[in-house]
Amino acid sequence: MIGPIISSGLVSTAWDNVFAVLLGMGFGFALESAGFSSSRKIIGTFFGYDFVVVKVFFTAAIVASLGLLYLSYMGLVDYSLLYIQPTFITSAIVGGIIMGVGFAMGGFCPGTSVCAAAVGRIDGLVFFGGMFIGIFLFSEAFPLFENIYYSGSLGPKMINSVFGISPELFTFLLILMAIGMFYGAGWVQGKVKKIEY
Amino acid sequence: MERKYTVLLVFLVVMALGLVILPGKNDRKETDPKILLGSIVEKSRYLSVDQVTHRIIENDPTLLLIDLRSAEQFKAFALPGAINIQPDSLISKSNLDLFSQPGKDKILYDNTDLISEQGWLICTRYSLNRIYIMKGGLNEWYNTIIQTEVAKPTASSTDLDLINFRNAARIYFTVTGNTPVSPPSVSNGEKIEVSRKAPTAKSGGGC
Repeated sequence: MIGPIISSGLVSTAWDNVFAVLLGMGFGFALESAGFSSSRKIIGTFFGYDFVVVKVFFTAAIVASLGLLYLSYMGLVDYSLLYIQPTFITSAIVGGIIMGVGFAMGGFCPGTSVCAAAVGRIDGLVFFGGMFIGIFLFSEAFPLFENIYYSGSLGPKMINSVFGISPELFTFLLILMAIGMFYGAGWVQGKVKKIEY
Repeated sequence: MERKYTVLLVFLVVMALGLVILPGKNDRKETDPKILLGSIVEKSRYLSVDQVTHRIIENDPTLLLIDLRSAEQFKAFALPGAINIQPDSLISKSNLDLFSQPGKDKILYDNTDLISEQGWLICTRYSLNRIYIMKGGLNEWYNTIIQTEVAKPTASSTDLDLINFRNAARIYFTVTGNTPVSPPSVSNGEKIEVSRKAPTAKSGGGC
């Protein structure tokens, strides 16, 4: 568990897996409710006929960051106790490209493929199986990739500190960007031929 | 865009703008005395020199070494990646930002444990988290990692593994050429000046 509830000692670490299962179920439910088990809906982002993926994830990001900052301001969350995933910039770029190509080709990301597999979609099951083959091959060949995997270590970096601005100002700018993206996506969607699926 | 979404977006912008214009919050509350006492009694703040060395060699991105010795001593030798902070400026604005970095383990060291203990106490009292002390300081680090240790014939496999690790670490540090040939001087007489902050809030709890 990486949230402040366990970090601050309010709940024992023995609850880690229970929280993981509950949060995973909630996340899966939200993905399925948003229609993310359909690869044609997800791939719509790349072809410009459906931007719901970008809209959902952008909304989640701005709502979560705004909520976190307000909770921190009110003293309900200790910001410094949050776990920040360390940044390895080289592997993030390489991994991001591979992930993007896989996303466009397969129509799923790892999480949505699990959703699709869970509801019995064949393309989801194939993607899900392929993902595990990929994990197996990567693990076996890890010594070959080890150097690039660990290169460009920046530690637990926050993007606002990279730009030298406060988290509050960054969140404000992010919300403005999100609004621009929402309107831009609507404009593109209006120009592209609708696809029924 | 539908009207309800427009209303929600306006709400989000107003909330975000509120965050930007709200006055800065002084969230550095003094730690509750009971909690502070509990932290002092328990010894989880100590990291052994082997643990710290292992994390240095592994390039652990969550590691932030803070050298509390004088600038001259720091210039002469310091652990790789360490930042020099003078004890009397430990709780300055810029250093508080440094100590408040999320996701970092801040490990204090000096020649012994004396200044590190005081630094840890100040930081903990200021409600700063993830502050540790390298047990024994640089002297212990030098004596354990840099000094040659010969394994006894009766040593257990665990001890042999540890000695092998220390020997490998010694090679790692000495080939860089910045490790001194003699241990750093012990300076127990150093004093730190602590400007105590007037309490802004009443202590919570109560017994």
